[in-house]
Order: sequence, then structure tokens, then C-alpha cells
Amino acid sequence: MLLYTFKRLAYIAVILAVMSVLIFWATQVMPGDVAQMIVGQFATDEQIRAVRGRLGLDDPVHVQYLRWAAALLRGDLGVSMMMDRPIGPLIEDAILRSAVLAGVSIVLVAAIGIFLGVYSAVRKGTAADHAVSIGTYFFISVPEFFWAIIVILLFAGYLGWFPATGYAPMSDGFGTWLQHLVLPVATLVSGLVAHVSRLTRSSMIETMQSQYVIAARAKGLPEALVIRRHALRNALVPTITVLAIDVGMLMGGIVVVETVFSYPGLGRLLIFSIEQKDIPMVQAGILTVTAVYAMANLAADLLYAFFNPRIRYGNAVAR
Amino acid sequence: MSVPVLAVSGLSVAYPAALGWLHALEDVSFEVGAGRALGIVGESGSGKSTTALAVLGLLAPEARIERGEALFQGASLFSLPDAERRALRGNRISIVFQDPFGSLNPAIPVGRQIAEPLVLHKGLPEVEAAEEVRRLLAEVGIANPQEIALAYPHQLSGGMKQRALIATALACKPDLLVLDEPTTALDVTIEAQILDLLEQLRRDRGLSMLYITHNLGVVSRICDDVCVLYAGRVVETGSAESLLRRPRHPYTKGLLASLPRVRERKHRLAPIPGRFPDLSAPPPGCIFHPRCHFAIERCASETQVLAAGVRCWRAEELADAAWQAPAETVPDARNTPDTSARALVEVSRLSKTFQLGGLFDGMRLDFSGGFPLKFEAPRVQAVDGVSLSVAPGEVLGLVGESGCGKSTLGRMLIGLIEPSGGSIGIDGGTPRQSARSAQIIFQNPDSSLNPRKTVEAIVGRPLALHGLASGDKLRERVVELLETVRLSSAYLQRYPHQLSGGEKQRVGIARALATSPKFIVCDEVVSALDVSVQAYVLNVLADLRDRLSVAYLFISHDLSVIAHIADRVAVMYRGAIVEEGPVDAVLRPPWHPYTEALLSAIPDLERGAGVQRIRLRGDAVEQGAQGRGCRFQHRCPRKLGAICETETPPVVRAGPGHTIACHIPIEAKAA
Repeated sequence: MLLYTFKRLAYIAVILAVMSVLIFWATQVMPGDVAQMIVGQFATDEQIRAVRGRLGLDDPVHVQYLRWAAALLRGDLGVSMMMDRPIGPLIEDAILRSAVLAGVSIVLVAAIGIFLGVYSAVRKGTAADHAVSIGTYFFISVPEFFWAIIVILLFAGYLGWFPATGYAPMSDGFGTWLQHLVLPVATLVSGLVAHVSRLTRSSMIETMQSQYVIAARAKGLPEALVIRRHALRNALVPTITVLAIDVGMLMGGIVVVETVFSYPGLGRLLIFSIEQKDIPMVQAGILTVTAVYAMANLAADLLYAFFNPRIRYGNAVAR
Repeated sequence: MSVPVLAVSGLSVAYPAALGWLHALEDVSFEVGAGRALGIVGESGSGKSTTALAVLGLLAPEARIERGEALFQGASLFSLPDAERRALRGNRISIVFQDPFGSLNPAIPVGRQIAEPLVLHKGLPEVEAAEEVRRLLAEVGIANPQEIALAYPHQLSGGMKQRALIATALACKPDLLVLDEPTTALDVTIEAQILDLLEQLRRDRGLSMLYITHNLGVVSRICDDVCVLYAGRVVETGSAESLLRRPRHPYTKGLLASLPRVRERKHRLAPIPGRFPDLSAPPPGCIFHPRCHFAIERCASETQVLAAGVRCWRAEELADAAWQAPAETVPDARNTPDTSARALVEVSRLSKTFQLGGLFDGMRLDFSGGFPLKFEAPRVQAVDGVSLSVAPGEVLGLVGESGCGKSTLGRMLIGLIEPSGGSIGIDGGTPRQSARSAQIIFQNPDSSLNPRKTVEAIVGRPLALHGLASGDKLRERVVELLETVRLSSAYLQRYPHQLSGGEKQRVGIARALATSPKFIVCDEVVSALDVSVQAYVLNVLADLRDRLSVAYLFISHDLSVIAHIADRVAVMYRGAIVEEGPVDAVLRPPWHPYTEALLSAIPDLERGAGVQRIRLRGDAVEQGAQGRGCRFQHRCPRKLGAICETETPPVVRAGPGHTIACHIPIEAKAA
């Protein structure tokens, strides 16, 4: 298991290295001259040259990359051009706020999705099953930004239950903090639940027909125990994979939701820095997103191994 | 007489079908006496598994018990409430299913799964249950119960899984043990081990058994009484001995006549013609009459009743009549292969090594020296230096257990797998160059025919591909090919799902014949088929060999099928051929210990006929990498000693064209 984790970490290191090259290259071909952006439209050639020299922009691209990458490895993410502050703390704050949003969302997606999936699998073909299907299909069909607007209009505008936008730190009180989270989380969760519930349903139905479930019934186990002990654990294996993919989709969703709800997280920071052509910030932000995604996949694989002893114990044959 | 453990009477079960109800069981009655074993025999679709599920109360919710009663120790089963039914299951009635690979939950250690009924029905605390599990595992012949109880199912071989499942079924000391084809998914040597175990358990525990199987040989070994099912009806019932020796119902006679036998080689088998009836609209009169040689007009109108143990009103009159081979099978003279001519297929030192997984799968830590992180992809030597030849028109049988490399070898011969070493010559060229003269027929006709293509398109495709025919000619040739495998032109526009298993396999044969090949690899072509259908396909293949002089490499795990059709046999074990020779020589001593074990493992109808019963230890897959010495040393019942562990056995000539790779001297083996 330790070796397995180690292998996966090695994979992630390779992925991040490759991604760093791609990110650096992509930001290089972005239109506009960085030095020009910094010194402003009316600067003299001399000023621009000075800035270019200071930032090392005249060096060959690979030298610039290596300098950037070396700094990264030392934990130095660079300095934001627009805000003129170190990127590290900026991103850290944003990540923490986004992590709250994403974490609460993915937990809810998993809990609601798995519950609905198992519920409709066990009641396959009944009215309840159809109702769940139609409901989840409806939510998955509506795009997030549209949902966000509807939700704001209804719950913030018309009903006035929750604040429409913004973020409140925990120090303002738990209630206030939670109130600001409800609408963005609801928007993020609504679309993703269907992925999990549909997949859990079909994998649960398949598992319920498997030979070992029939064998469990033949032992005389009551149906509730057959489902809980024998079916559920095996049926959840594919669900874990989908949850990891959903973490990726959640990142995309967060950019939209944070923008609509003016939530000061990583997504909004990224959009802002792209608009402002704050290249070091964009690079650091995207690399962070990549790392988070890779780690989510690692977590999924480890969970997968937990549910699937074949990975945990290799193929060692007991004599 | 005491109350029977189980008495089923007049049981009828139906499943909903597209049009009305499918009557899977109709008026089925049987009894299992205390301490006795009843065998329920039938082909696929006969309703034997439905019977087992109905007795256990595990029928699918949509199934309907229309009539009938099942008394368990005198008490009605069907009128019990669900909870009481459940309290019997796994406790006083338990079952072992066919598929040991799927019947264990992959995510739970084996021991905990065996303990479940003990905790549930007997209320044993976990610790005591675990102790009882170890005792049970020891009873079913597992040498290291402690370790196995903690293992996960994927760490066990098929035979050990089935032993663990038998232990689960025995946990609560049931009054009735139902076994639903418990050995069908296992290799023949493992099957023999499990049958030994079941026999021993019967003796030690006085178990009552309901044994469901398609295999008449298994019945003759295990059962006291037999009940033959056909299309959901009991057609004949009686004691195992008299029923197998003097079958009375035409269907039973047909089944026995379809069976290829090792020691009784016939030119043609006598299969049962026709198709299995559609149970949602069964034919009037006797259900078997459309396929029965002895049917007369009255059979088509009068429903038959079970009288004196047989459901046929002509049983007395036909008592001495044997099942006849249908007129269309012409037992013409056997075409002797031309062994003097140049070999058609010439294989020399052929090897295949598979690498498992990618670079990262082979990554491991090793502190024995050098850089501790090592990359070594695990490898499997599937075929290891095999040499063989096939003469024009000759049938070479290749026999071995699953995983021995026989399919890999067959596929290399027609160029589907690239060899890692050695050479193949087919009809004077490489497999690629001789693609037209070398073809293959696969095991599973359900997955080897494209479900979206008609029979005409499937059989016509190789013709068009090789430019052998086009337009009207193409259809003419397809019809001709279908006729060769005894299918009429009515089949042209049918899709695979509209065909029965045997018909599908014949389409597969017609496709292989399209390019007029000289050599066909038959890869387990009859193992997925029922006995009566298998006999039919074997006859078709024998006809082709005789009429068209096609040579076959006939791959099978079933020595009786090989003995029936082949001229020569090669016995394969873990990638290499351990014995090769003419069929008659290989089936008689002297033989390789592995061949001897294979022969003695066949549950035979004729008990105690010649072969001494020897058993192999363990499974073929269990042992580690191929090291030094003889590859069979770990399982060999006749191992000599150190020489078997250190030296590769020499290939010894045992007779004309007969070779054995073994250290034991020929003279000692002949004794």
C-alpha cells in the first residue's frame, strides 16, 4: 500500500512537471507585452527596457522557465505584477475560501448522490425511481450560471432568505458564514448529483444481480444486510472514480459560481488575473488547480484501493 | 419408510415472456430421501436451476409458482412466511452454486463470509465463529485454514474458492445440500478433487444432496437416484445405476448416445436432431416428439404422463431399441491422413512471453543491491519451445487445463498473436502469407459472430475480402457453405440472436470454411454447447475432415472429445508439450503422469475401467515462476526425487510417433 501511494505520488510529480512547461509556454504566447502592461501606455522605451531587464524578459524562454521552475521548487510562487505582493499568501487565502466551497459541495454531492442512487436501484422501476431520475436529469440539464441567477432571484431577491453575494469569515459568526455558503453550494451541487446518482444506481443494480449477492441471500441474510454488507461496498467502486472526475468539474463550476456570487476564492482570483494579464499570478493559479486535481485523483485511487482488496494486496496467491 | 428430506410434487413455475408466460417447469415431482443423493440432469433450458431456486425460495420476483408443493421434512415450504423461509436458508437447506469465481464477495475476507450463516442462524459470537470456520476449512481439505480464512477471494484459486463455498454451505450442518453444477467451471483435475471431497462428506456426515448437473459421468459417481429433466418436464426417473445402464426414455437414450467416450471410439456420434422447444408455446402432445426418432402419430396429440418412472407411453415397447444416428450422418470410411506427404503445418521451438502491465506496474523496491528502485515488468511464459507438425487431413488434438497456453499456441498458428520466438510454417508460408489456407473457429459462438450482421454477411465477408466471389456467385457460394454445415438457405437473412447455440457454431464453421482452408484451428469449439448439440457439431467437423481433407488443430480441455475426433494427441502443461502420440497410444500406458491424472479425473460412466484413480495436488496456476527441473514437479503424484527438481526431463520415445517428456523410465511406466 505504501509502495502504491509512492508510485502514485511519482506519477503526480511527472504530471505537474509536464503541466508547468505547458502553463509557462501558454502564458508566453498570450497577447500583449508584460513590461508594457506594467509601466503603462505612455512609458518610454528606456523604462520598458529597464523593466524587461529587471524581470529577465530578454533571456531565452527556457532560461526564464528554469528560473521560474527553480523558484517554484523553493516554494516561491513569485510576485503579482498588478498587486505587487507575493503570490503565495494571496493564493493561500483564496484557496482556503474555495476549499470550503468545494469541500462542502463534494461531500454533499457524494452523500446525496449515493443515497439517491441506492434508493432508486433498490426500488428499480417504481414511481420513486422515476421521480429521482426525472429530478436529477432536470438539474443536470440546466447550466450553472443560469441556476445561479435563478437561485439569487428566488432566495436572495424574492424570499430574502440568504445574502445574494459575498463572503463572510467565520469570525463574523457561524450563522453568517453558513448563510453566505448556501446559495453557491446549492448551485454547484445541483448539477453534479445526477452524475453520482445515475452511476451509483446502475452499478448498484448490476451488483444486486451478481452471483455473490444471490449467494448472500442463499445464506439467509435479510435483504437490508445483503444490500449494506455485500452490495453497497462493491457498487461504490465506480462511483469513486466519478467523484474524482467531479472534483475536476467542480473547479470549472467554482470559477463560474465565484464570479456570479462575488465569492473571493481561487476561481475569481484567476479570472481577475487573466483579465489583468497578471502572468505570474495566472501561472501560479493554474498550477495550483492542476495540483488540486491530481491530488483529488490520488485520493480517489487510494479510496479505490480501500474498497478493492485486489489492489491493496496485489495478486499474491495464498497457498 | 421415513419422511423424505425433500418432496416436490407437481411443481410448475412460469416466467413472464414477450408473449404470455414461459413455462420453465411443468408438473415436476421428485423426492430426496434422508442420506440419499438425487441427481437432476438436463441440458441448458431444462429448468434444473429453476428447480433449485424454487426449493430455496430464491426465484426472481417476476417468476410465478403456478402449482405444486414442496415439503421439507414433511412441512410445506411455499406456504411459509418470508422470515421463516429465510431462517431455513443457509441453515437447514443450503446451496453451492456453479460459479465459484463470482459467488464470493471480492471485498470481504473469505473467513468472514463463511462465518456469516453461523453468526446469523446459530448466534455464535465472532471469535467462536472464526474458530468454527477454521475447523470447517480443514474439513473441506484446505491445508492452511488460518491463512485462508484471512485471505481475500482473489487470492484463492478456483478449486479453493469452491471448497470455501462448500464450507459455507456446511457451516450450520444442513439437512439438505443443494449443489448447482458445482464443478462445471473448474478444470477436470480440480473437478475430480471436489467430487472426491463431496463423496467423502456424504460418507462422513450422511448428507442428503440434490445434485444438479448436465454431466452424466458426475451423476454416476455421486448420485443414488437420477431425475432427467427435458424442457421443464421430468422425462425419466430411477436409480442411477439402472437409468444409466438401461435408459428407457428416448431422450435419455439420445443423451447417452451423444456422449463421446474415451474408451469407446465411434466414427460418428448419434446426436439428438432438431431444436429445443419454445417453452412459451410448447408443442402439443409429448414435448419431445419433434426430436424423437421413435415418435409416431399418436405422440403428437397425446400428452404424456409419468408412469413407472418414465414419461413415454412406448417405453416398454422400445425397451431394447437403441438411439440411432440420424440418416443424414453417413458413417463413411474414415479418410486416413497422408502422413507420408510433407507436413502441412510445421512448428518449431515456438515461444510466447507476455509482459504484464506497463512500466510503473513493474516498479518495486529492492534493497538487495544497486539502485533500490527497480523496473521489472512481470512476465508470463505462455508457450515455451513447442514443436509440432500436422499432416494434410490430420486431426491433432491439443489437450490441457485452463491457462496452459493452448489457445495462445492456436492463435499464433494463424497469425493472430505474434510469437516471441521459434518458427511457424503453414502450407509453405508464414501464417500471414497463408491466411487463406489457415482459419480458426472460436469457443464462444455468442461473441464471435457480429450481432448486427446477417448470416449471409458473416459467411460472405471472407469471400469478398479475399476476392473469391462477388455478386450472384457470392450468394451461391454462401448457400453452398451453409449446406456443408447442414444449414438451409432459409438461414441467410437471419441474425445471430435468432439462432440456437449449435446453429451459431455451425455458422462459425461455415465462415472458417469460406476460403477453402487446408487447416483449421478449432479452439474449444464444443465446450460451450450442450451434449446433444456438441455431438452434432462434432459430426459436422468429422464430415468435413473426411470429405474436404481439412486438417485440424483441435484444442480442448475435454479428453473424451479429443479422443473421439483426433488422430494424434498432444498433452500440454504450463506452456510445453509433455506427451504426444497417436490417440490409442496416449490413452494407454505407458503415459506421462499428467496424462494419467487427466484420464483418471474424467468422471466416467463406466466405473473402474482400467485407470487407477490418481489425484493431483493443488492447481496449475498456483505455482510460482517456472524454475529449474520438470514443470510438473509440484503436482506430480509420481515424482522421483531430486532429479525432477534440477533437470529438465528428456523427451523419450515410447512407441512409434509417441514421445513422453519425463524422468521415469518407460519400462516403469508401462507396468
